[in-house]
Amino acid sequence: MLEKARVSFFLASRSITRGNKGITIFTVFVLTLIFIQLVLFSSMLAGVTLKFNELMVNFQTGNVVVEPKEEERYIEDASALQKKIESLPQVVGASARLKTTGNFRYKEKEIGATIYGIDSADETFVTGLEDAIISGEFLSRPDKGEIILGREVSGGFGALMESRSLGGAEVGDTVELTIGGVTREFRVKGIYTTRYFMADASAYLTRADLEEMLGIEGRDFAQEIAVKTADGTPEYDTRTALLSLGIGENIRTWNEFAGILRLIESTLGMVRNIMNAIGLLIAFVIIFVVIYVNIVNKKRQIGVQKAIGIEQNVIIASFVLQAMLYAGAGVILGYVFVRFGLVPYTVSHPVEVPLGSMSLRLDNAEALNRAVLLFLSSVVGSVIPAYKLAQKDLLDLIWGK
Amino acid sequence: MEKIRKHTKDAVKSMDEIRKQTENTVKGMDIIRKSTDDTITDTIIESIDITRTFKMGEVEVRALRSVNVKIRRGEFIAIMGPSGSGKTTLLNQLGLLDTPNSGKVIIDGSDTSRLSDSEKGKFRLHNLGYVFQDYALLPELNAMENVYISLMMQGKSKTECESAAAEILAAVGLGDRLQQLPSKMSGGQQQRVSIARALAHSPEVLFADEPCANLDSETSKEVLDLFEKFNQEKGQTIVMVTHEEWHAEYADRVIRLKDGIVQE
Ligand SMILES: Nc1ncnc2c1ncn2[C@@H]1O[C@H](COP(=O)(O)OP(=O)(O)O)[C@@H](O)[C@H]1O
Ligand SMILES: [Mg+2]
Repeated sequence: MLEKARVSFFLASRSITRGNKGITIFTVFVLTLIFIQLVLFSSMLAGVTLKFNELMVNFQTGNVVVEPKEEERYIEDASALQKKIESLPQVVGASARLKTTGNFRYKEKEIGATIYGIDSADETFVTGLEDAIISGEFLSRPDKGEIILGREVSGGFGALMESRSLGGAEVGDTVELTIGGVTREFRVKGIYTTRYFMADASAYLTRADLEEMLGIEGRDFAQEIAVKTADGTPEYDTRTALLSLGIGENIRTWNEFAGILRLIESTLGMVRNIMNAIGLLIAFVIIFVVIYVNIVNKKRQIGVQKAIGIEQNVIIASFVLQAMLYAGAGVILGYVFVRFGLVPYTVSHPVEVPLGSMSLRLDNAEALNRAVLLFLSSVVGSVIPAYKLAQKDLLDLIWGK
Repeated sequence: MEKIRKHTKDAVKSMDEIRKQTENTVKGMDIIRKSTDDTITDTIIESIDITRTFKMGEVEVRALRSVNVKIRRGEFIAIMGPSGSGKTTLLNQLGLLDTPNSGKVIIDGSDTSRLSDSEKGKFRLHNLGYVFQDYALLPELNAMENVYISLMMQGKSKTECESAAAEILAAVGLGDRLQQLPSKMSGGQQQRVSIARALAHSPEVLFADEPCANLDSETSKEVLDLFEKFNQEKGQTIVMVTHEEWHAEYADRVIRLKDGIVQE
């Protein structure tokens, strides 16, 4: 068995070193591209997911969110609860928010958006909203009748859904906001972008202003308390710590909010699988064609090999090994290119995509999985033509029939 | 100067002739010995009533019609006949490269008609050697590798393979071209590599199908001299197809074919 493998390996290696270099280079090049294609989409997806998670934590939920008890609309005694939460050592900040939906009107345009009522100082401890201001200023506590708009609401500043925005409301402009039948005018104090579409489709005003519009002035209500913990604190631990404070409210970690993200991820995952299948099919066809052409050119040689007593399996295995060596080279080159070229490049030069700026992330387990699949398809793609030809009558092979 | 050279040449020639004559008498004695104890064990290959028919669409070509031949161990046989008379076809049957439609080929006492394709392959690997008209070397292997590939297939170690290949290549006069690729060799050199390959594993029988057809007469002579050398020094059984009468002079015996039938 080992002796036979030795002969196959010998024939394969001689064929690669002394055969047509052009074909070898071409084949390895194509397989390299296929491997890159196979891992690229996964890496993009991983990169997008990571970015999405980051944005979610940094601009929306913090690490953990405390919500009203089942069947209740509000967290009552919100400031007391907030104090309690802030007393935990791992908590960096907590922001009690009111949250509702409202309608904006500006000139002839009218759109709906998510409206947050916040304490601007508290919010700054939890999210990066203040740093996301691209025009004007962030809210401050005593503000009244002032509002901060996401760029998807204001329009302009490279908003992705410009046509669904207010079409270019600027700092200093007055917009009309209607919530539950109550309409007020607000002055735009600032415009922000997180480069994250969903977070940019909101507006922020002070909690006092929103309380007034909702008719709950002085009631110390909140709809959520976003909690930011020190870097590296596991969300699970935070939740445990909060529970041990005797908090009866609902506690959810940020990734429980990422429902849409999960949906996007699994949708993209399906797209990725389809693309992988196509990539593998292409790999299979390329290998098949290369090996087939290679073998057809070697019909006579195969005939001679059979004549002098080289076993059919050994001959087939020599072609399969050759294909595997090609695939191996393609995988290694492709991996090196992505791992040490493309990934570091996109880390230092992130790509701007609708979700935000994105870099690639290569997961080694996934890369290994793709490598194995590529190997398998090269085995199948070479076994079929090699078997078909090696099986022929040796005199037919020698005479080129 | 020229004259001296001619003289010495002539002298060498006549010496050669003497040598040949004595050899012939030795051969003659041999044949007498062989015919006296013509036992089965002395027959290395025997074909019994083999026929081989090729179908070319509607037409049937009867390449061999009930051919019976017997070849003794150590014999140098020439198969001759006009083009298309079935020489190659006969050689392929005897050499187990093809399977007759009927009849059997018996090699060294065993009936090969019962062997499967892979068993035949093994048999060829261990017991038979081939020299083809166009050398049929593997272009991606150098001289040495071409020679030892079958030894490698037999499971011999790398050192065994290499030393055996070097030895046999030296014996065919290519000791200095072990690493050369076929594409860098002349026809005569390639044919000598192919002879070395055919003989490397000391086969029972060496088959050669018009080994000199692509060579000029001088190179042909070198190749035939090699055959003769192995036949005489090692007792190598050789079955060679040729259509040149002067090639046949090297052989102990000629089998003549015409229209697929052996001419007595
Ligand atoms: N594979 C084949 N298919 C069809 N006809 C063949 C085949 N091999 C040989 N023949 C025919 O059989 C006859 C004998 O061929 P061959 O043995 O090659 O003759 P030779 O070697 O004496 O020239 C020829 O008529 C040839 O055309
Ligand atoms: Mg012929």
